[in-house]
Amino acid sequence: MSQDSEPRRGWEPPYIIPHRYDNSKFGRRIARDNCCHHIDGVDVEYLLSRYGSPLFIASERRLRDNVRRVRNIFERHYQPVIHGWSYKTNYTSAICNILHQEGSWAEVVSAFEYEKARHLGVPGNRIIFNGPNKGRAILERAIHEGARLHIDHIDELELIETIAKEQNKTVPITMRLNFNTGYTDPWNRFGFNLESGQAHSVVTRIKRSTQVRLTGLHSHIGTFILEPRAMSEQVRLMCQFMQEIEADGKCTIDALDIGGGLPSRNALQGIYLPPEQAVPAIDDFGEAVCTALSKGLAQRTAPPPLLFIESGRAVVDDAISLASTVVGTKQLPDGRAAAVLDAGINTMLTALWYHHPVKLTKPKPGNPVDTVLYGPLCMNIDVMRHSVYLPPLAVGDQLVFNPVGAYNNSQWLQFIEYRPPILLIHLDGECSIIREAETLPDLCRHDRLPAHLTSPGHVP
Amino acid sequence: MSAELANILRELIEKERLSALAVSANGFAFDPRSGQSFTVNHTGVATMELLLANHSIESTVGVLAKQYEMPTDVVLGSVEVFIRQLARYLA
Amino acid sequence: MSSLGRNKADWRSWNVAITGMNAQPDNPGPGLAVARCLRHAPEFRGRLIGLGYEVLDPGLYHRAVFDTSYLMPYPSEGLESQLERLLEIHAKEGIDLIIPCLDAELNTFAHNEERFAAAGMRMLLPQLEQLRLRAKDNLGELCSRLGIDTPETVRISDTGFFERCRDEGWSYPLVVKGIFYDAAIVNSPEEAKSAFHRIAAQWGYPVLAQQLVSGYEINLTAIGDGQGNMLGPVMMRKRAVTDKGKAWAGISILDTELEQMGRAILAATQWRGPLEVEALRSNDGRLYLIEVNPRFPAWVYLTHGVGCNLPQLLLRLVAGDHPLVLPQPAPGTLFIRYAEELVTTLEQFESMMIKGVLITPQAAGTV
Repeated sequence: MSQDSEPRRGWEPPYIIPHRYDNSKFGRRIARDNCCHHIDGVDVEYLLSRYGSPLFIASERRLRDNVRRVRNIFERHYQPVIHGWSYKTNYTSAICNILHQEGSWAEVVSAFEYEKARHLGVPGNRIIFNGPNKGRAILERAIHEGARLHIDHIDELELIETIAKEQNKTVPITMRLNFNTGYTDPWNRFGFNLESGQAHSVVTRIKRSTQVRLTGLHSHIGTFILEPRAMSEQVRLMCQFMQEIEADGKCTIDALDIGGGLPSRNALQGIYLPPEQAVPAIDDFGEAVCTALSKGLAQRTAPPPLLFIESGRAVVDDAISLASTVVGTKQLPDGRAAAVLDAGINTMLTALWYHHPVKLTKPKPGNPVDTVLYGPLCMNIDVMRHSVYLPPLAVGDQLVFNPVGAYNNSQWLQFIEYRPPILLIHLDGECSIIREAETLPDLCRHDRLPAHLTSPGHVP
Repeated sequence: MSAELANILRELIEKERLSALAVSANGFAFDPRSGQSFTVNHTGVATMELLLANHSIESTVGVLAKQYEMPTDVVLGSVEVFIRQLARYLA
Repeated sequence: MSSLGRNKADWRSWNVAITGMNAQPDNPGPGLAVARCLRHAPEFRGRLIGLGYEVLDPGLYHRAVFDTSYLMPYPSEGLESQLERLLEIHAKEGIDLIIPCLDAELNTFAHNEERFAAAGMRMLLPQLEQLRLRAKDNLGELCSRLGIDTPETVRISDTGFFERCRDEGWSYPLVVKGIFYDAAIVNSPEEAKSAFHRIAAQWGYPVLAQQLVSGYEINLTAIGDGQGNMLGPVMMRKRAVTDKGKAWAGISILDTELEQMGRAILAATQWRGPLEVEALRSNDGRLYLIEVNPRFPAWVYLTHGVGCNLPQLLLRLVAGDHPLVLPQPAPGTLFIRYAEELVTTLEQFESMMIKGVLITPQAAGTV
């Protein structure tokens, strides 16, 4: 521990830091093996030198393993199970196609996502169409192509009926429900509420319709759920509702969609214990769901409904890392160390909600100190980590954030910087870029200059 | 090198604020006047030793640059920040 | 510390590491009291090693009780950090037994249990499933299974609840609680929100809201043998509390209903290790379960005072020495807590700050 027992040490800027008694270096000590040299056997520093920094690095192996594992966990207890790939979590084309090759359907929530799934070659009847804003044109296409429609509000239901009439069809629909499981805060802005009786009255309305037929129930109780019993209660309530509405024989439910919300091993802000202890195994969720399902279906004679799971985060999050480089270091007025990285919340927006685990690419000498990691933006909120114990950093040091696969490649911001490339490490260890870095022509493509603005004018 | 910085340092030394700071080889420093304790890193300890041995700022920077094989301007910038930290915590 | 010549089977000569050194006057961690129980057990002649998290944890410097003490990484730093640090300390001290004493660390210790055991450090503590069953946000389920009364409790992750709760049949005052620690009685939505934010900032989400039941608090501590049996129950009524509701005076009692409640909980959970049952006898005479804490309480020294020294019993149980008859603690023994200043040197403080260990006469110059 002591400095005198260590070998001669190199230069670091001299500092003096007043002691705070609630923040000793022992209290915040990190485990020794805290480096990320390789991803799938490929040297991260080599990748950065070849493809530039920052760089998203995706593992095909991990992605395929993850989706197989999630599906197997549910299939072990219940069949048939279909995994719907939640496009919004990461709609990079290669990522989507890996999952489609693994048998996942597309779960889309907007016209853009629908069109993207079709563009990738996903047939309409393997698309689950969710979301509160489905315009007429995309609904017409989706109905024509046989997508599974999940309705969010009454006006949408009416629009679907109108289109169905025009196309001379009876359209099967799934209803999105919301309710209070008692374990998570209810997301009651989506779909129809159970407790208030709203959901029941909509069912009555659908049963009278000649243009639509209720065949599925859907709910999504939240994101990053840490309590398996929440999903068990979700399934119980859905099964109970199904029995109630099937009782008069006027509808038969052939699919239950329990949405997503399964957590990854990321550190959600505001959770005291680290993810290894706070996040239950996906197996626990699978068991909770399937046990509740077999109880809920015990009295039912109709064939078992299809179980749709729309897990995004648990599938993709740890399959993608973000490697970045220190471009500057500073010492803050309160004595803490800080480093500026070439990647900020413009590339990793989820840093606003998660303490993403971060590792150096190789060990560094020096005692770890409380460090702030800033991104490259000229915004005060651009902080990758507010407090992480790392050895004193220097320009050129490289850091790897993981997991970052969920929501970052869809929510990233084009703000003052070009968005970086995404690299995929194939199963055989080969690498290829699956999304190019942005360039100036990319960013100027949508600009239009009226005749009088084609030049910046005369600069005196 | 600003004259202002040299003044700050002279004051720290003349008022015996720097010499009063007890610094152990471990980098633990204690200010008997305020009761505050500090962690000083190894380069900080080396810098303080040089300043207390009446080296000027230029000379301190020169010795450190040679000892750590660093460019003088890099060391100078860091030492300036360090002296301002000392002034802030010990004034 | 050489372990040569020590009989590892004999608990009397064990090196025992104890956490919970935060013996602050208004809300003391239990570690110092656990250590004093062992130090004052006539047969015990082993070494006591204090494990603290913050450099000013008072127990770390209490040389009359601890032979030495060390700083540890917070449980929030993860399993590997804890394991590495304890193995380091183990290499110097030869730890035979660890007694974790803080709610927030139990989960981490339970995860690391096998790896500690492989290194020769034993523990008697609840397993992850037992910790889950008694977690503050799960207690309602356990109670309804066992037919035990408990105040209605909900998990909340935003403050909207405090406005709408009156429509849902709740009334102020109510109790806002952290998932590991901290509780505040609040009289209005405004007070509730402020307590919510303070507690969430320290202990994270979810935060719990609990209906307030008026009455007086009674507590029980005991050890579960892992087969559903309750060993050595000692019961206490708080007679005076600090601002944070912690006992600073109490008296041993005998409440058979509380004892039965404890027995039912231990049997249902197959509890292993120490626990504290916090209960409340309401003004209309009903007994409510408030919390089950997976560790000894800070008032555990009273168990020594009533002749039923539970930390010593813990050592004997781990050693396989199952006492068949334990003395029945007599009601009417009081404890009154007091504060005392420990005097220590700058050198000790420096050593704790920089090296994370106290300088001990035996170890001086070797750490």
